[in-house]
Order: sequence, then C-alpha cells, then structure tokens
Amino acid sequence: MTVVDITSESHFNELTTSLPSTMPITLSFHTPWAAPCTQMNAVFSYLSTQYNNVTFLSVDAEAHPEISETFDVSAVPFFVLIKNGKVVRELSGADPKELSAAIQELSGQQPAAAPTTRVENDAKEETTAEEDLNARLAKLVSAAPVMLFMKGTPAAPQCGFSRQLVGILRENQVRFGFFDILKDDTVRQGLKQFSDWPTFPQLYVNGELQGGLDIVKEILAEDPNYFKNL
Amino acid sequence: MSTDASAEPEKFPNFGDSETPYEDKIRWVLTQNLKPTYLKIHNDSHKHAHHAPMRDSVSQETHFRLEIVSEAFEGKRLPMRHRLVYQMFSKEMNAEGGIHAMQLLTLTPKEWEERQGKK
Repeated sequence: MTVVDITSESHFNELTTSLPSTMPITLSFHTPWAAPCTQMNAVFSYLSTQYNNVTFLSVDAEAHPEISETFDVSAVPFFVLIKNGKVVRELSGADPKELSAAIQELSGQQPAAAPTTRVENDAKEETTAEEDLNARLAKLVSAAPVMLFMKGTPAAPQCGFSRQLVGILRENQVRFGFFDILKDDTVRQGLKQFSDWPTFPQLYVNGELQGGLDIVKEILAEDPNYFKNL
Repeated sequence: MSTDASAEPEKFPNFGDSETPYEDKIRWVLTQNLKPTYLKIHNDSHKHAHHAPMRDSVSQETHFRLEIVSEAFEGKRLPMRHRLVYQMFSKEMNAEGGIHAMQLLTLTPKEWEERQGKK
C-alpha cells in the first residue's frame, strides 16, 4: 500500500468515513521545511509497503491547520495511530525505531518481506548513524517531563537567556532535567536539525519543543499557571 | 519600450553600504514575506557585548529582538510562527559573526489589538 497525501479537510473526512472502522489508520503530520520530516517521510513511506492492513495518510501540517488543530499537533513530525475510530497512540518527533514498533503493534501483523532494492553500503551506514543520532535525541528530549537544553548549567549558566529561563523555571517551582549543550557539540548541532530550531536555550515538555525564553515568557503572560497545570 | 515597474519582482537590495546591514535586511525580508502591519526591530547587541562568546565579535548586530504583527501567523502555534521567521534568516544565523540571537514576539493583528485593548 502507498501513502495517501491529504489534499483538504473534506478529503480527509471522506477517506476516514469511507474506510471500514476495523481498518487501522496512521496519520503523519509534516512540513516541507523541517529536516526531521524528510527523514521520517521516507520511514513512513517504507512502513506503508510493509503493512497492507493499515491505511497510511500524510498531512502537510501547515497547509491544513484545521486538521492539525483537530489532532492538537504543535510540533512536527507527529504521528497519530487510530484504531476503531479512536486515537490509540500519538508519537512526536523523529524516532524511526519507535514509529516502526508502534505501527507493527497497530497492524498486529508481521512486516512484509522488504522490497528488494540495491542499497549502497556507504549510504546505508550513513543513514544508520543519522538514525542513531535521531534516536538518541528523541530519547534525550524525553529524558524528563520538562527538559531544558541550555548553555552551561543551572548553577553556572553561560548565557543570559539560559540564565533567565532557569530563573523562570525555579520561580515556578518546576522540576526539570537539563543538558549543557556546550559540553556536547554533536547534540548541540544535532538538536538544531532535529527540532528545526536554530537557537538555545530550548525547553521541551513531554518530549515536545515549546520554544526558547521568548516563547516561555509569552506562554506565562497568557497563562501564569502553565507549569502548575502540567 | 516601457516596462511596468510594478510587475517586476523586487530585486534583492544591496545592504553592504549601510551601517546596519543586518537590521536593514531583516526589515526588508520580513516586509516582503510577512507583510506585517506592525514591525519593530530592537538591536540588543550592546547588552551582550561583554559575554565571553561575544568578545571577539566585531559586529554591532549580533542580538535582535523583533516585534512582528502579521496575518501570516494566523492559525499557527508559537513554535511554528518562530520557525517561519527563523527559516528566513538561516544563512545569517549560521554564519560566523552573523546573527547570534533573535528574540521574537509574533502576533496576529487580532491578538495585537486585544493586547492594546488591555493596556
């Protein structure tokens, strides 16, 4: 089976109502400009050839904000797994192994024999290294319910914005994990690609990027209880 | 033969002669792409000049704070709005001695009016 690209909200509704309710559906939300999406689109496409008892639908999250809103999509790539008309699982971020396992579970079947394609050994190894990095980053951003990627440490911040964000988290009595990106350039550069975000500090809540200092200040201006309600 | 100037796409201006080339470019790019109803550019570089990573910097334009009000932000959550802007300056933000930081305030015209009303 191939991935069906959704062209409009009505197209989406038509498709989902015409399918037998016993057929599981998986939705992929992506944007054309986010690097992790390009990788995951390829993974998604490959998985669609492996499980012919699941419908694979793809949605350009920015082109169809109504559909994104319906599923509460705030970061891409984002995957929704639906069984019997109910959302059974949501995955955020680019973790090929996690997505693969989740879809296999949804399908309940063994993956079909891989289509025979000749793969250059070098290219395959490069993909594995990138996959490994993305898998590592996906785990890192979920290492704690609130994760702060900053310059320096909370005890010794090396940048004014990082210092301010730590201050805000402490003021709101938030328990958070932190990672000093000055100590690991692989993570520092990798995270910029992974989350398509060029700057630090970066705050993640439940594995999802919320943004930097400016966004956190905005969120609190609108909702002072944001952290209390997590 | 006369040319219709309004039909020609606006060519990318040369900011090299300006004293504030980054600020000019930011203003031009944002105006072209987002057609903002309100745009304010603050250059906060002097506030960070003493930080260790900035000591070797010769640029006076390293840290910016932008206030942008545009319809283009409608229907987008904050991270997506910010990515939209960051994407326009990825070259400058990745360059050595380029833009080091960009703080953003991104509002739709409706949100902006609501804020003005609250004041």
